[in-house]
Amino acid sequence: MEKRDTLWELFQKKNISRRDFLKTCVALTSIMGLSTDLLPQVIEAAEKKPLLPVIWLHGHECTGCDESFIRSQSPLTSDLVLNMIALEYMDVLAAAAGEPLEHHLEETIAKYNGQYLLIFEGAVPEAENGIYCMVGGKPIIETLKHVAKGAAAIIENGSCAAWGGIQAARPNPTKSVSVSEIISGKPIIKVPGCPPIPEVLTGTVMHYVLFGQLPPVDNQGRPKQFFGNRIHDTCYRRPFFDSGMFVEKFDDMGSKAGWCLYKVGCRGPEAYNSCGNMRWWNGMSYPIQSGAPCVACASKNFWDNDPFYERLPNIPVPNTIADADKVGAVLAGVTTAGVVAHGIASYVQHKMHQSKAEKELADSDEHKPEPGQNE
Amino acid sequence: MKRIVVDPINRIEGHLRVEIKVDEATGKVEDALSSGTAWRGIELVLKDRDPRDAWMFAQRICGVCTTVHALGCLRAVEDALGIEIPKNANYIRNIIAASQAVHDHTVHFYHLHALDWVSPVAALKADPAATAALQNTVLEKYSLKFEGPIGFATSAYPKEFPKATTAYFREIQNKVKAIVESGQLGIFAGHYWDHPDYNVLPPEAHLMAVSHYLNMLDRQREIVIPHVIFGGKNPHPHYIVGGMPCSISMNDMNAPINTERLALVDTSVNLSIDLVNNFYIPDLLVIGDLFVKAGYVDGGGLAGQRVLSFGDFPEDKYSGTSNGDYFKNLLIRSNGVVENFAGGVDKAKFYPLEGKDLSDPNVLAEGVDHAWYTYTEKGKDLHPWSGVTNPQYTEPKEGTKTNWKYLNEDGKYSWVKTPKHNGKMAEVGPLAKYIIVYTKVKQGIIGQPTWAEKMIVDQIDAVSKLLNLPPEKWLLSTVGRTAARALDAQLHAYISKYFLDKLINSIKAGDTTVANTAYWNPSSWPKEAKGVGLHEAPRGGLSHWVTIKNGKIDNYQAIVPSTWNACPRDDKAGHGAYEASMIETKVKIAEKPLEILRVIHSFDPCLACATHLYDSTGKEIAIVRTDPYL
Repeated sequence: MEKRDTLWELFQKKNISRRDFLKTCVALTSIMGLSTDLLPQVIEAAEKKPLLPVIWLHGHECTGCDESFIRSQSPLTSDLVLNMIALEYMDVLAAAAGEPLEHHLEETIAKYNGQYLLIFEGAVPEAENGIYCMVGGKPIIETLKHVAKGAAAIIENGSCAAWGGIQAARPNPTKSVSVSEIISGKPIIKVPGCPPIPEVLTGTVMHYVLFGQLPPVDNQGRPKQFFGNRIHDTCYRRPFFDSGMFVEKFDDMGSKAGWCLYKVGCRGPEAYNSCGNMRWWNGMSYPIQSGAPCVACASKNFWDNDPFYERLPNIPVPNTIADADKVGAVLAGVTTAGVVAHGIASYVQHKMHQSKAEKELADSDEHKPEPGQNE
Repeated sequence: MKRIVVDPINRIEGHLRVEIKVDEATGKVEDALSSGTAWRGIELVLKDRDPRDAWMFAQRICGVCTTVHALGCLRAVEDALGIEIPKNANYIRNIIAASQAVHDHTVHFYHLHALDWVSPVAALKADPAATAALQNTVLEKYSLKFEGPIGFATSAYPKEFPKATTAYFREIQNKVKAIVESGQLGIFAGHYWDHPDYNVLPPEAHLMAVSHYLNMLDRQREIVIPHVIFGGKNPHPHYIVGGMPCSISMNDMNAPINTERLALVDTSVNLSIDLVNNFYIPDLLVIGDLFVKAGYVDGGGLAGQRVLSFGDFPEDKYSGTSNGDYFKNLLIRSNGVVENFAGGVDKAKFYPLEGKDLSDPNVLAEGVDHAWYTYTEKGKDLHPWSGVTNPQYTEPKEGTKTNWKYLNEDGKYSWVKTPKHNGKMAEVGPLAKYIIVYTKVKQGIIGQPTWAEKMIVDQIDAVSKLLNLPPEKWLLSTVGRTAARALDAQLHAYISKYFLDKLINSIKAGDTTVANTAYWNPSSWPKEAKGVGLHEAPRGGLSHWVTIKNGKIDNYQAIVPSTWNACPRDDKAGHGAYEASMIETKVKIAEKPLEILRVIHSFDPCLACATHLYDSTGKEIAIVRTDPYL
């Protein structure tokens, strides 16, 4: 196999100036939430790391994650796809179809064995030997196993790949599962969301391109830089929650004033995602800002946490506008399940990083870490 | 005779396979088969859910035509529960739907369809100076000067215009060259760029189109900003049953919708108008003109025989769909069927589709003769409100159940059912809608066209003049189907503006209501109810059908545009639209069926939409249930 080009070499080949290259590095440093002190390391990584071949497969999905992918502003999808990765197989954008496309897939697997990144979008239906999702005349589950073998790392793109998603909601007619329930022994990272925020997916890919490894993950295998906080913790409406100012029903006075949506079902208190801080379209909005309660679309099994307009259980909330300290004290005194446990888990994460207490709380309030995930 | 398989069909949503039998000597396609090769069971997942949540589930039928299934579902549930949405909610939903259509068509043309017509490899032979000259000529000769009513003219000048300089095209060409020479072709790898059809256009047209492919890839995200403002995100923006969650207030600093938010929508709508008028329409028309001049007018298929549409954009409030009120104040009254447009607009025959037809089991029904399902009574089609579906996966003609060589066109071969109107199959989509409105206006069935209907007729007449062909000669072809999408995008860019103006005027008059919550509580609902929701989506007529029992969903069915178009054959009614169009397309080189890709892509296939299942008898599907969540 020929040596693959670095990002810098590729920029040179494509007659892109050093200045543009450095500007790209600055943009990437900020997208990934890294301190500007790390800029020299990002530049060094972009100069030295080889360009990454990527294979993108589709299982049981709606292509919403592809649509989200092409909405990315930083990096622009055109820059990512044409200059930063070699997107060798992706049937949604590929020029080729049918046999020539499948042939190229096999060529890519052979040529870049052990070096390519596999992005898998959608769930994997296991029922009846996988006949509910046939691609190229074969079950996608077989193709996944085949392609995963030579992958350097795997991204479970979207809630379907990460958790099984909508088709895995009860009664899960096609016995759909996540990628990591099928594949083990590989570095796998989950980038959930229905769909993921565009820059969350492209940011995860860029991290791998620049640093040659998957970004640090939480106990559920998600990149911490995008899933480290609950939306509740970063929500601009949080002060209204703390002050007991709630939307009681849609389009009421509180709704017009932009108060907290907790009482009409908002899942923000249990949703780990970047909607609160990054928002969609680089800060333009997110469902809560547009008046809609969060449905926690990046959480495991969120589809079966319905009905969505019923509020999260057992969370005492102040019903009057109270002194913030007093409200805080009330909340701190309650140690039941649900939001409060989440809040404490989040607090402990800050204070006692990776401590036993954190693990216990995190385990008790959400899900156990799954085997086969990289740390 | 050679049998050719194309699987996967690329640049679409979902999983589609086609097989054709080609006479290699003549290039004639003798038979063609279209198969949806995946099934997810969303309707089964919907059973027993809260009807107020249903739109979220239904929306995930598709992320490319995101929002259209949410809208179809909301309209069905609101029809069932007798909920009339406030006029502001109707305006906002219409802006979301119209901007979706502009976005969907634009991305389809540039990123899912363009590479069937233009080639980056051919662009290398272009002269950059001649390309700049061509760009100027194209803007002069191939622009369509139509516009909708604009109340608040907020845009001072067109912000987005194609670059037409030699240096720019040279830079783009150098970049394409570097990619080709690097050997890392990425998304351009593996294709038959040596196909003779890539010689139809001059190299300069290839270079111009390739540069617009890149321009539009970078700009398309801005077209759906209305989704992000009103619905919080895209894909899959948020709604509520009864209206919208995005409350409007000019008295609160933190309101979801205020002047600043409306300005963001307005800027996006103005941009969409520029992108469609200055890029999409001229690009489409010059490519279409050159292909038509080179004799490419095949691929019409079923469109000349029968097309179907439901119509859309309620101008103001309406009380329901199944009672027929939906049809009474539509901006585009394309509801109905037109037969025999192939004989010219004068000989075409129009059949209306009204409220009473929706509940008539003889008018709309689905069959499963060649789909992987069985009905209890063989050969009888079923109305979606009483749809019964049992999966029955069968062997292919050659190969095994998990390794197909050829599917069995004599038996079952697709997860897509076969929908019918009065026992007959029909094509749906922008082409169908344009044919129906054109026929209704020209035959005087519509006496006083709305501005949108008038624009449709004017657009068709203008293109007919440009191509110097009567409508039935160019519309009923692959070029025509693709052109109808571009005209539809221009129309929808102005529909967004039209309803934004209406929204602003309504707020100005003191109305800020966006939700009707009178029936929010399930205790206010009837014990049993059923409803239908219609939407004229970017790919054509969409219908969602729901029955509700004791506050839960009891039965859910969606007959989506790609079900109509991608469906397998029917022994009595013949071929569906994909199959019929392939049979009418000539293939030059059997192993490189570029013409087949082009005609299939002209429908903008959406297969996750098309394949669905729900067993209303509640019968368990025969699979092992080891769902860890249960």
